[in-house]
This record gives sequence, C-alpha cells and structure tokens, in this order.
Amino acid sequence: MASIRLRKVVKKFGEHVVIPEMSLEIPDREFAVFVGPSGCGKSTLLRIIAGLEGVDGGDVIIGEDRVNDRPAAQRDIAMVFQDYALYPHMTVYKNMAFALEMRNMHRAEIDRRVRDAARMLRLETLLDRKPKALSGGQRQRVAMGRAIVREPRVFLFDEPLSNLDAKLRGEVRTEIKRLSQQLRTTMIFVTHDQVEAMTLADRIVVLNGGRIQQVGTPEEVYNHPANRFVAGFIGAPAMNFFPVNVEAEGSGFTAVLRDGTRLRLPISQTEGIRAVNARDAVLGLRPENVTTREFTHSASVRARLDVVETLGSDTFGYFGLAGGQYVARLKADFGIRPGSEVELGLDMSAAHLFTDDDGHAIQ
Amino acid sequence: MVSATALRRLGGLQLALVSLVILAPVAWMVLSSFKPSAEVTAYPPTLWFTPTLDNYRQLFSSTPFARYTLNSLVVAAGSTLIGLGFGVPAAFAVSWRRMMWPALVTLAARMAPGTLYLLPWYLMFRWLGLIGSYWALILTHAAITLPIVIWVLLPFFDAVPHSVLESAQVDGCSVPRTLWRIALPLVVPGLVVSAILAFIFSWNYFLFALVLSNSDTKTLIAASFNFIGEGATYWGALMAAATLIALPPLLLAFAVQRRLVAGLAVGAVKG
Ligand SMILES: Nc1ncnc2c1ncn2[C@@H]1O[C@H](COP(=O)(O)OP(=O)(O)OP(=O)(O)O)[C@@H](O)[C@H]1O
Ligand SMILES: [Mg+2]
Repeated sequence: MASIRLRKVVKKFGEHVVIPEMSLEIPDREFAVFVGPSGCGKSTLLRIIAGLEGVDGGDVIIGEDRVNDRPAAQRDIAMVFQDYALYPHMTVYKNMAFALEMRNMHRAEIDRRVRDAARMLRLETLLDRKPKALSGGQRQRVAMGRAIVREPRVFLFDEPLSNLDAKLRGEVRTEIKRLSQQLRTTMIFVTHDQVEAMTLADRIVVLNGGRIQQVGTPEEVYNHPANRFVAGFIGAPAMNFFPVNVEAEGSGFTAVLRDGTRLRLPISQTEGIRAVNARDAVLGLRPENVTTREFTHSASVRARLDVVETLGSDTFGYFGLAGGQYVARLKADFGIRPGSEVELGLDMSAAHLFTDDDGHAIQ
Repeated sequence: MVSATALRRLGGLQLALVSLVILAPVAWMVLSSFKPSAEVTAYPPTLWFTPTLDNYRQLFSSTPFARYTLNSLVVAAGSTLIGLGFGVPAAFAVSWRRMMWPALVTLAARMAPGTLYLLPWYLMFRWLGLIGSYWALILTHAAITLPIVIWVLLPFFDAVPHSVLESAQVDGCSVPRTLWRIALPLVVPGLVVSAILAFIFSWNYFLFALVLSNSDTKTLIAASFNFIGEGATYWGALMAAATLIALPPLLLAFAVQRRLVAGLAVGAVKG
C-alpha cells in the first residue's frame, strides 16, 4: 500500500508532447479513476507509473520512493491490461503463480495465495486450463487474479472492462468495487467510460489533451464541474450548453438566450459573475434539469421533440431551441412521440455557468 | 480478364517447369549414383540399367567419407548453436525495441559475396593459428546462420503481443528472463524452423571450408568439390557423394515442412 505522487511529469514521444507538465497526488488506499477521451494520455500516465514508459521530466514517487530509475519489475505494482496479456503457454494456475515464483516465494505460500484468489474470483475449476480455452470474462478474472495474488503496493487497471459485453461489464464492475473495498489497496483505474468512473472512484481525475481538468470526488465532478470540458464529459446524455448574454437585473443576474428567453440565474452565482464581469457566457443544464416532471421550476420553455429515446426507466427527448440542439430527460413514458410539443421546465437552481472564452466555471 | 481455367493452366505449367528445373537434376544425381561407371556419363542418359553400389564402395574406400561427415556435422551443429545463441536475443531485441541494426548488419554481411571475406579471414585465422581448426569453420559459418536465425525468428517474435512481455516485466522479470520464460516458449515453432534452416545452409556452404579447413577438418561438401578435378572416372563417386550429402537437408526439410507452413501463419501464438 502506498500513495502515488507525480511531480511536474513531462512525457514526449519524439517531438510530440503527450503530457506537457502534470502534478498529481493519489493518497494511500484510494481508488482513483483516470477518465478522458481517447488519446488524452490516460494509458501513457498509467504506464509511466508502472515503469513501462520513462519520463522526460519530473518525478514519479510511489510511497516514499522516487522510482524514476526503477524498472517496472522492481516497483511492486500489479497491472491489469486491456487485452489481459495472459501468458498463452501457461495454465491459469501458472499465470497467477508466475510473479510469485519470480520473487522466489515459498511453494506452499504461492499455492495458498493462488487458491485464495481463485476462490475469490470463482476460478477454482479452471486452474488447469490454458487462456485459449477461457471465455473473455474468465480471462478477465484470471488477469485480476494475477494482480491480486501479488498483494502489491498499487493496482493499475487499463480499461480492463472494455472487451466485455455490456451485461458482463456491469457485473465485473461491481466485482471490482467489492474487491477494492476488501483489499483497501491504492488503485488506479483507467477508462473512458464515465459510468465506470462515477461508480468506482473515490476520486476522479478528468484528463484532456494530457492535462488534468479536474480532480475530485464523483459528487464534486458531477455537481461542480471545474470547466465546460468536465461538465460535458461527465454525465450521459451530456450537459446542455446554451450560449447566453448575462444581464444585471435587480440584485442578481439573468441569462438571456439567443431567442430572447430570460432565465433568472441563482443567487449563489452572483458573486462569481461579478468577479469575472461576465457578459457573454455559456449556460449549462443537465438533461435531468430540463424536464416535464413535476417540480418547482424557475423557468419554462416550449419545445417540439425531434427525436425521442425511450429506455424504459427514462425517456430522453431531443429538441431545437434558439439555434442549438438540446436534450431533456422526460418522465418514463413510452407514449411520448417525436413531433409532440411539450412544456419543459428548467431547474435554474442546478444551472452551471461557464465563461465564453476559456470555459471556466463561474461559481 | 484472365479466366480461372487459364490461371489454373498457367499454374500447372509453372509447377511443371519448377519440377523440371529442380527435380530433374536431383533425379539424375540419385540415378547416376547407382549406375555402373561406364554409364554415368553416357549420352543420352540411360534410364534402364542394373543398379550397383560400386560408386558408394569406391567413395568409402578411397576417401575418409565418415570423417568428412563428422566434420560437416560438427561445423553445421556448432554454427547453428552459435547462430541461435546470438540470433535469438538479437531477434528479440529487434522485434521488441525496434532496434534494427543487428538485423540490417547481419543481412548486409550475408549479402556481400563470400569471396570478399576469404582473404581477410584467411589472414586473420592464420594469425590466430586457427586455420584447419573446427573453430575457424564454426565461427565463419555463424555468418551464414546468424542472419537466417534473426530473419526467420523476427515475425515470430513480432506476433507475441507487447502487453504479454510488459506484463512479465510488471510481474518481476528482467529482460533476459522475459525472453527466456515468456517469449521463447511462444516462438518454439520459429526456433525449430530457424535451427533447421541454419543447419542446412551451413551444411551446404563450401566456400569458407575450401580455404580455412585442412584435410582433417574438411567438410563433406568441400571435400566433394575436390572429386571434380580428379578425372572422369570419379563421376559416379561424385554422384554418390552428392546423394549422401543432399540426404540430411532433404530429410530435415521434409521433417519440418508442416512447421514451415505453420510458421508462415504465425497467428498461432495469440491466445
Ligand atoms: N509509443 C508511442 N509512440 C508515439 N506516440 C504515442 C505512443 N503511445 C501513445 N502515443 C500518443 O500519445 C497520446 C496518448 O496516448 P494514450 O495511449 O495514453 O491515450 P489514451 O488516453 O490511453 O487513449 P485511449 O482511450 O484510446 O486508450 C496519443 O496521442 C498517442 O498517439
Ligand atoms: Mg489507453
């Protein structure tokens, strides 16, 4: 068990700067999730921590040790790869025992750990099989087992669920959550699936273009996104963004949509708006705050639904307003048809406001 | 448009041509080795004759054939081992780290005509006092086997997923151990193919032995070369020698033909 610290880490591939300069601390025993779009540097970051990639600047610190010059073999970390990377020529048992053999562990201890892990992951009947004879889900569990038996200081996962079908993915996700609570070891989990990020993380690290956009609990990242990128990335369907003019009105401010609709901004934002002297801004409202459901909404708009998605538990309606395309979360009703006119209530108490230029949250 | 039948006929023709060029001399060689000496050089070649082992008897009585065979075996096996010893790590490095120079250097060395090396090597080995030793032959033949091993193994190593090797590193393997415990077991078919090809090429190579060996270490193929200068009476023995020399490579090639084909479809490594 150990904390992980990155201090001003820089990573380039040739001339291509993948991570300009990053500092990050993940406390001991925390489950951190790196999330971000494809190519943002999540895997690279994980591989830097693992020791599979070097850095072009800065320090990587695991526990108390600066490990920049330490090869992966000596970092005492375990990693689950996206393609599982099982050893094709070894049985499931051997796959799990291998790392322990490399550490010259006592045979009896190896056997105990492998069998414990096999029981925990329901692999007992598969111990003599080769990876080729396993299903995708079983291979995934072997990869997990191989990491668990190590009892490492840190677990790293690089999109371990992305090769599973949707149902299995959900199950394994829960499994990993359970394991993490059992093991209480520092874990870093890379994904571009924000549902995985929200459900697994103690702390989410949102990345884009090799830069940290926000570090926070799922609740913080969801309810208080630091900028427009985080707001748009976390949550599905994505947050609606309305370009607005901000006008002073009475003691507070009002956002004016391009079609003239006036929406009173919450008092809580008054200070922030004053501080940046915002004129043009972007108003953010999550789909669940644009809805037909009964609640005391502060404003409403009439809209015509272009597309309706019924998921059973939810119905999402897509509509055009003031030149933009938006989505509302309607009440679960299979009867809603595209083309219908609805009165949508906007919950302005949940409104986010971002600067027009660099997209920082105004709070 | 070329029709399918036309293509098939073309293929048939090609096959016939190839067989004629490759198989006819082999057949001629094998048949001649069993002919009475008078008929070996007869023109047109006789197809019906009373087979005899005279040529073989003559070969074994007039030359230390067994000794030459042993020499060839020692040199081919030794140079194959050296080729594997250096070629396997080199191919691994080339494949994994994209470190291309070992592959290119050995290939360039192999492309240069052998005669280029003869004089320098002769002087070098004479200076070292190694002329006529097995070492001179084994080391020089390693120049034949090394590029074969590297280039045959490359696609096999390339087919091993990088993440498997990285996984081994994370699990605590040093690079040599990653090669030994993980990569090598996954390229066994490639090892077999490269070892056999290296052995055959070394076995068949005569130029270096011509200069660097003495009568005690002369390889089969270099020794058989000497028969040619010694008059028409030895044609039958030469054919017998050629037949015996060709036998091991042919048998080996047959033994691994399955592997050779499988080796081309390297995907088998992936689990
Ligand atoms: N070995 C490499 N050589 C050159 N560029 C690389 C290398 N590995 C990654 N990159 C580049 O670095 C950037 C970050 O890649 P990385 O694999 O970390 O992204 P990622 O966030 O994991 O994306 P994904 O979600 O698709 O896995 C990309 O632009 C990629 O092209
Ligand atoms: Mg990745």
